[in-house]
Amino acid sequence: MADNMITLTIDGHEVQVEPGSTIMQAAKKLEVEIPHFCYHPRLSVAGNCRMCLVEVEGAPKPVASCAFPVSEGMNVKTQSQLAEQAHKNVMEMLLINHPLDCPICDQGGECDLQDIAVGYGSDRSRYGSCSKRSVEDKDIGPLVKTVMTRCIHCTRCVRFATEVAGVEEFGATFRGQDMKIGTYVEKALDSELSGNMIDLCPVGALTNKPFAFSARPWEMKTVNLIDVMDGMGTNIYADVRDEEVMRMRPRTNEEINEEWMTDTARFAVDGLTKNRLTAPLVREGKNLRQVSWQKAFDTLTEHLKGKRRDGIFALASSTLSAEDYYSFNMFMKESVGTDNVDARTDGSPIRGDVRASYVMNSGIAAVDNADAVLLVGCDLRRESPLLNARVRKNVLAKNIKVASIGALTNTTYDVKDLGRSPMDILDLIEDEKLFKKTFPKTKNLMVIMGAEATTRTDALKIMGAVRKLCQKYEMIRPDWNGYNLLSLKAGQVAALDFSVYPVAAGVEAKDVSKSVSEGLVKTLFIYGDVEIPAQELQDAEYIVYMGTHHSAYADIADVVLPTAAYTEKEALWVNTEGRVQAARKAVNPPMQAKEDWKIFRALSECLGKKLPFDTLSQLRLLIAKVNDAYLPENWGSFVVPAWDKFGLTTKPNKAEFEFSVPEYYLSNGYLRQSKVMQDCAAKAQDTNNKKVS
Amino acid sequence: MTLQHTPLSYEDRIFKNLDGSGDWSIKGYQERGGYDGLKKILTTDTVEIIDTLKQSALRGRGGAGFPTGLKWSFMPKPTKERPTYLVCNADEGEPGTCKDRDILRNDPHTLVEGMIVGCYTLGAKTGYIYIRGEYYDEANRLQAAIDEAYEAGLLGKDILGTGVCVDLHIHLGAGAYICGEETALLESLEGKKGQPRLKPPFPAGFGLYGMPTTINNVETLAQVPPILKKGVKWWTQFGNPNNHGTKIFSISGSVNKPINIEAPMSITLKELIEHYAGGVIGGWDNLQAVIPGGSSTPMLSAENCQDAVMDFDSLMQYKTGLGTAAIVVMNKDVDLLRVMKRISGFYKHESCGQCSPCREGMGWIYQLMNDIYHGKADISDIDKLEDLTHRIDGHTICAFATGAIWPVQGTIRHFRHLMEQKVQPKKTASKAKTKKSA
Repeated sequence: MADNMITLTIDGHEVQVEPGSTIMQAAKKLEVEIPHFCYHPRLSVAGNCRMCLVEVEGAPKPVASCAFPVSEGMNVKTQSQLAEQAHKNVMEMLLINHPLDCPICDQGGECDLQDIAVGYGSDRSRYGSCSKRSVEDKDIGPLVKTVMTRCIHCTRCVRFATEVAGVEEFGATFRGQDMKIGTYVEKALDSELSGNMIDLCPVGALTNKPFAFSARPWEMKTVNLIDVMDGMGTNIYADVRDEEVMRMRPRTNEEINEEWMTDTARFAVDGLTKNRLTAPLVREGKNLRQVSWQKAFDTLTEHLKGKRRDGIFALASSTLSAEDYYSFNMFMKESVGTDNVDARTDGSPIRGDVRASYVMNSGIAAVDNADAVLLVGCDLRRESPLLNARVRKNVLAKNIKVASIGALTNTTYDVKDLGRSPMDILDLIEDEKLFKKTFPKTKNLMVIMGAEATTRTDALKIMGAVRKLCQKYEMIRPDWNGYNLLSLKAGQVAALDFSVYPVAAGVEAKDVSKSVSEGLVKTLFIYGDVEIPAQELQDAEYIVYMGTHHSAYADIADVVLPTAAYTEKEALWVNTEGRVQAARKAVNPPMQAKEDWKIFRALSECLGKKLPFDTLSQLRLLIAKVNDAYLPENWGSFVVPAWDKFGLTTKPNKAEFEFSVPEYYLSNGYLRQSKVMQDCAAKAQDTNNKKVS
Repeated sequence: MTLQHTPLSYEDRIFKNLDGSGDWSIKGYQERGGYDGLKKILTTDTVEIIDTLKQSALRGRGGAGFPTGLKWSFMPKPTKERPTYLVCNADEGEPGTCKDRDILRNDPHTLVEGMIVGCYTLGAKTGYIYIRGEYYDEANRLQAAIDEAYEAGLLGKDILGTGVCVDLHIHLGAGAYICGEETALLESLEGKKGQPRLKPPFPAGFGLYGMPTTINNVETLAQVPPILKKGVKWWTQFGNPNNHGTKIFSISGSVNKPINIEAPMSITLKELIEHYAGGVIGGWDNLQAVIPGGSSTPMLSAENCQDAVMDFDSLMQYKTGLGTAAIVVMNKDVDLLRVMKRISGFYKHESCGQCSPCREGMGWIYQLMNDIYHGKADISDIDKLEDLTHRIDGHTICAFATGAIWPVQGTIRHFRHLMEQKVQPKKTASKAKTKKSA
């Protein structure tokens, strides 16, 4: 606690706060509630709703507590006659032009305006026969529904768009009574974070478009989940009614997502109930026929009997949980007995020998302490919109320097372009002057490697070069580790932790397509939607598909086993920092679908090589032995991995980096199944075409 | 009539070419004594200048009447990282006010000289003049004057060999009343939507581009050099204590000779109207009401006008203010409620829309004023209207709302009977109607 704390009194209670705090912050500390609409702790202070007016002794007028700085000995009254009258007055003004259409408003039940009107407003209107304002709705894309007549002009959405999301085309036009909020030119909002405006909107002006009119907040129960659409491990809530996940909302975690979430995480829920695999299927002629689990297992056991193990291949998707990878890897390598197993279907050659080489060693929250950021082959805005927002926050607040070696993208802030190819990393290592010039007085530099770099064949060389860079400029210290590899996929770190790749002489994922065309692949296990297109795999002799949706891979399979989606299992998820987070089960897997580990455990028994666990806790005990981060006491926390040598020291290729996320809205199996995401992708495509023409 | 005040002599007038009869250019201005003694001012210690201004009790001419010397004393010394700015508020938007316009087109060099002295005193290398967009011709005239001053070595680098550097830039507004509010003006000048900023921080600490800034009205700035040249004693001979000096009064409405006239402060309203503006049309007894300081100041009733003294402090006893000293005279032929309804409409239109009470409240007030005017309201609506004004007052970021509800309060205070007359007949009529139908 600083020595120069300021003491003030709020409603007769004394509180000490730091100088420069506002009355609102002091009140929060005391847990005194002051009603407000426009104030939001993560946005700049607008002070325009005037709902938070309080009485300050000695001040002639009530003051806005969200903006008014505290001073020593200040005496604040939030419930005096003056303050209460002010609340009542402002509330009356806010309601006169509000349609009061709560019965048909999706915000009903979780509406600040409703709550505060009940708490602080009058019980009747004096507006009488005067006519209410009506405002035309805006089309700002397929995600956010607008009913602008309900808008109370708090400008939270405008401030979010300009400050956090970095899309400055959202704002207020006209003035006075005619003030309108929206995009200046009617168009879809070009942001990966637009859904957060729904949470920010204190009324029903901006609501969840796909969720419209489908459930009331009090009908749903809330389950804590971890998002799997990118590598961040965003903490989310799933709101569930009966056996259906109705919507996703962000859950505050200061160290990861603050209180934001991406649009992919929020709006892909519709895919979870459509086109699902609900029972095991076995191919009979041209058609897949529904069978019992026993029948499916028998068919598979029969097929595998006496097969050469080097003809069996297995690919796993990159959106799976720790338990999934662990049990799958063990099943394939021990029960089936093949080493041709790989989860790196994006073609990455990274191996899991040194954990520090494939995680974010600084941690996500360390962006707030960094003086500068160097992106290496990283389209940060598409690979991790939330990390991008965090960098942007620090660029705006502290003017930190950001430079990039890689394909040029729109990051929403200024980035110094240091070149396009991995050779430019070597230049930066050689040229100390260039480094000093680009990052003057930099103590804490964060180097963030992205998927443009890690999916290349020379990724290990790039990693070696970046390690050298960090070490040369003393960015690896006990108090700071600036080497970061950002994982694009939710399962990337876990798969590497458990060595879900060939450890002996097995065939790597990048060569599987070739093996298929050469006829070497007799049996192919496909686990989830992999990065290799189904067309390249369909010529394998016998295909077993384990997955959630009836995707293109199910169509080419001979046996299909239905697994559980990320909302349907108790699971541990490992984010890009290597942080292990436990998610609860929101709903049961549909119909006959089963949790993944149970399938592998049961199947292993049929094959005569039973996996050594019978329950989830037994499985988790095994997993905990792999790495300290998986110990239950470390769940949720960031465990800094030990630093060691890794990477190759030879020169990487001269080839320029290429964009890693060509289709952001369709970048994994769950997203491709969502109608909403398909609409977003079409819209984005449309905008791009327009830009080109 | 016998005058209670001595009219200003030609020598004592600051705006000698206010009526536009002379030469507006630098030649004419210099012939009238302009720019004489500027070099001496630019070599005077700035602390001394501010002290002189404090002693002169010069108060801002833009409406609020804040002591100029005090305002200037808030400014920190400029540093390399934090330069200071002087901004001239020429966004004259208050209905009834037209004094700055005449300064800009007939005596622009008074402002240029004032800006030079102001910039020097505040250590500002750059001064901005924010002119309302409608004053296009006036802005051109001022630009011509600025060009002349540059040519004469009165602007730019090393002015008159004193080492003082001042650059002046003109910025035209886009037609929003609220941009006359000093912080909204800064926002607009920065290229943003003109909306008042939260205070604190005040512009002297965090103004234009986040740098210390002082904003003054055209007339205020133009009055600074004469005060410094002729001395405090000369200035304080005019007007009551704390309200010293001369002032331009813009007299319009039901008078025989609408005029912009520079007169000593604390002159009586009656003398202004009768002596300078040719009297009320139809005679003094035909007077109904007077708005003393632009549309946002509450009206004076005809009785008040009899002995009202025009200065900041004296008008407070009538619960009104000097404002911009734009006197709008209304005789008995004027449909007073229609005027006030229109003024309410103006404020509804000009609210920036930021604060809830003002954004929503101004519309409601206008609707009620409209309903009352058209007799569509109930008698209780008058009380509701008055109650409403108190609910808006003091709940907003800037003083716009206060300025917008004052005229309504003034109307109810003095002319409630007119409002009641408007709503009464309808009541009886509707009663008659119900009887008939029964």
